[in-house]
Amino acid sequence: MKRKLQAIAVLLLFGLIKLPVEEAATRQLRAARLLSPPLDLSVRENIGQMSFAAALGGLRSLIASITYLQAYQAWENIDWAKVDSLFQLTTTLQPRYANYWDEAAWQMAYNAASSYLNNQELNSAVRGKLYHDHIDRGIAILRDGLRVLPDEPRLWNGLAEIYERRQIDPRKSAECYLQLLRVTKNPRYGRFAAYQLALTSDPAQWQRAYDLLKSAYDQKQRLPTLINTLKSLEERLEIPANQRIPDALVPIGQNQNQAGPLR
Amino acid sequence: MTHRSFSPARIWTLATATVTQLVRMKILAFLLVFCVIVVAAGFAFPVMNPEQQLKLLKDVSFGALQVFSIVIGIVATALLLPRDLEDRTLYTILAKPVPRYEYLLGKLLGVLLLIGAGLVIMDAAFSVILWLREKLLLSQMIAALNAQRPEDIAQLEGIVAKQGLTWNLHLGVLAIFLKASVVSALALMISCLASSTLFTVVITFCIVIIGHGQGLLREYFLQGKMTAVLEQSLSALLAILTPDLGVFDVVENVIQGEVVTWAATQVMLGTAAMYLVGYCVVSHLLFVEKEL
Repeated sequence: MKRKLQAIAVLLLFGLIKLPVEEAATRQLRAARLLSPPLDLSVRENIGQMSFAAALGGLRSLIASITYLQAYQAWENIDWAKVDSLFQLTTTLQPRYANYWDEAAWQMAYNAASSYLNNQELNSAVRGKLYHDHIDRGIAILRDGLRVLPDEPRLWNGLAEIYERRQIDPRKSAECYLQLLRVTKNPRYGRFAAYQLALTSDPAQWQRAYDLLKSAYDQKQRLPTLINTLKSLEERLEIPANQRIPDALVPIGQNQNQAGPLR
Repeated sequence: MTHRSFSPARIWTLATATVTQLVRMKILAFLLVFCVIVVAAGFAFPVMNPEQQLKLLKDVSFGALQVFSIVIGIVATALLLPRDLEDRTLYTILAKPVPRYEYLLGKLLGVLLLIGAGLVIMDAAFSVILWLREKLLLSQMIAALNAQRPEDIAQLEGIVAKQGLTWNLHLGVLAIFLKASVVSALALMISCLASSTLFTVVITFCIVIIGHGQGLLREYFLQGKMTAVLEQSLSALLAILTPDLGVFDVVENVIQGEVVTWAATQVMLGTAAMYLVGYCVVSHLLFVEKEL
């Protein structure tokens, strides 16, 4: 009996001593990005008790993969609301995996938006509304993802492309390409930002585009789109003749071996 | 010849005997089940993008590794003492000049050796499948995109390698082993107190479940997030009595490519050692007086 009491006392004492050690270990592993932030208790309602217990029990990645597969199935069944909610769950379970954010936004801004736009069963006003709503949803998903992963090039690229191709907002697209330039240091994104700024109707933005492209030109970049955009900006900004680039406009044709014109 | 109060050789003998005992219980059949799961996951869902296919293979394999190691840790440990009592082996061992704590350490080491060997075999099987899948996906991508230039092929290799086989994944397996070790020590401690195998298994499973959410309980207790006295006392008691198994849940981020540094490995090793020592001391205090 004496030993049993001793055992209980040791267990309680050990329990008290281990608490700060556990706290420090968790903090250190979280700082090293090896442990995820604690799971939001509201997730339990969406994934069920068993899955929540499994997610809590170190199988979070597996549960996220399962909800991803369910989202994939919902996509095959063209159930966009379900695709959205399942991807929301997937990104909640694994917020640091950029691919989930990227794919969730792509599903909404491209697939769901186009699906509604081409749905002949809906009247044109509703189609247009749903089209824009889903593009906005795609943007919102990427913005949420960027709050978790502010330096993730894939998310900035996805956002820039949605603004460029779906929302036709060259100013915002340019800002995203500039963020991409900041993150990757790849000069092509500076050019992409400049092409978008050149599409705006604001002369101040044309000047920014001109400065970016002129700097790229001075670094011996001679891509057809760069030269043509630069020449167009020279005209619009009325750059003096002696400061203009000597190159002639380059005809842009599709090469069989490349996906699009060289930008 | 003098009798030493602590003999690693005696503990080793008990450990190897325990491994033999567990192997005879056909406990290693789970290796076969694991291999089937890995092969199935490796070649399922070919319509997904390559990155996701490889991630899914890793998710399923690591999930299976975790489940198997914890189940084996609990069940094997829970079976040991009752089986030794039933077979009368325990009396034969303790009739010799073998201290009880050596018997416990030998049993625990035996279970850990079995789990460790099982994990090494499963890790090897998983690595082979992942490597094969990676190469197969790469060749499929090269063929589908008709990539011929070395820079294009290098880019495709980079995309596939991001989710491919790395040394870092083996450190994820080490984390799984450490968690299973803590669970086994916990099961041993409970089995010293318990009167039946079922009791040990059920109680240990409950503690394992609570242990995964212990971090939340601890935060609630330490940061005083609860106001009700009863809630606060209960969360404090659970936080004190259960281990924080969440510390070893690095696998999910390892799968995503986060690097397990030496410092992080030390933190996990140190935490696991702390639990093992703590639970072994309590097990000894409970077992030393146990009427057999």
